[in-house]
Amino acid sequence: MESSQSFERDLTQLLPRLRRFAHTLSRNPADADDLTQATVERALRSREQWQPGTRLDSWMYRIMRNLWIDTARARMRKDRYEAPEDEAESVGHDPREALDASLELKRAMDAMDRLPDEQREVVALILVEGFGYREVSEMLDLPIGTVSSRLVRGRTALLAMLSRATDD
Amino acid sequence: MIEEEKFFAWLDGELPADEAAQVEAEVAADPELSRLAEEHRAMATGLRNAFGSVEAQRVPERLQRSIESDPGEKVVGLAGARASREVRRAPSLWVQMGALAATLAVGIVTGNMLSSGFLPSRSSDPIQTEAGRLVASADLENALYAQLASAPVETGPRIGLTFRDKTGAICRTFEDQAASGLACRESGDWRIRSVFQGAEGQSTDYRMAGGPNPRLLEEVDSIIDGEPFDAAQEKAAAVKGWR
Repeated sequence: MESSQSFERDLTQLLPRLRRFAHTLSRNPADADDLTQATVERALRSREQWQPGTRLDSWMYRIMRNLWIDTARARMRKDRYEAPEDEAESVGHDPREALDASLELKRAMDAMDRLPDEQREVVALILVEGFGYREVSEMLDLPIGTVSSRLVRGRTALLAMLSRATDD
Repeated sequence: MIEEEKFFAWLDGELPADEAAQVEAEVAADPELSRLAEEHRAMATGLRNAFGSVEAQRVPERLQRSIESDPGEKVVGLAGARASREVRRAPSLWVQMGALAATLAVGIVTGNMLSSGFLPSRSSDPIQTEAGRLVASADLENALYAQLASAPVETGPRIGLTFRDKTGAICRTFEDQAASGLACRESGDWRIRSVFQGAEGQSTDYRMAGGPNPRLLEEVDSIIDGEPFDAAQEKAAAVKGWR
């Protein structure tokens, strides 16, 4: 019915944000787009589970995060050991530049990739995607205190990676 | 010293106003905390900008297609449809949708039937008669000229497959609530090759109800040369004026 069309339209409008979130979780852009595609396919198959009137974005993010946990992560980990680590070491080489607002995507992805998974998703959802602590605790089924402490550890580690020498 | 989690909660705007004011005052009075706040703000901004570049990118076609090729949709690969028709035992969802569409779309509409009132001609119909010939309505003609299946519209006629027929002409399938059909480029014009009555009144979601009419696809199958255009080919053909 009407909601079927608007579901697809809303999904289409969410694609840029879903890709962004996928990039924060994934190691490289190709993995990120695979994850996005798998998320869209899962969402289309499960569309009747979405409650109209609730936030579609949170629902989609949750699907993406769970897919990433369930399947993509295992594959990406496998890829990690097979793929050359050519650019990973550029992280943190130039802390001033790394702190600059134009922090490049590759560097950001590499830095995020070095975080433990449970910190990465919280950092991604709050610092990049702009969700509130409460929203993330609901999305991830975690106590808000857990979200908060993971966020502290994640962002502190990121800052250490990206800006070890800011006070030089 | 402020508790770490409280400091960051303040930084993220998560504290109630009174607590936030308290932390703000403490941070302002402490150069080290002020510097830490600045560093974290800058890092968060850097992250948002870096990943924001992804949001600004064009969404890859395959992702768009994964939405459009949902079984309820009609922008589907003909090869996939063919393959699933050959494997009768396991009809794809897509083919099942086609079967549903067949129960709703009743028969080929010829020019005569049209003029005899079988399909009442209204301004919203995609096909109209003019001097005994089937012609595209202005809306349909615009869609045939300008619409890309990879960029679907919300109202009006929608374009499905674009392909070259065995005579070398570019043809496009279209669909709206009243009808679906096939138009091919001939002598610099869009000529209607066939029209199938749509499923108007059966459902407000014509993409579900209309679906890809199997007879339309059979016709496409019989005249197509090669495979339907992909998004890039479709776009290139549009740029060249469908020649």
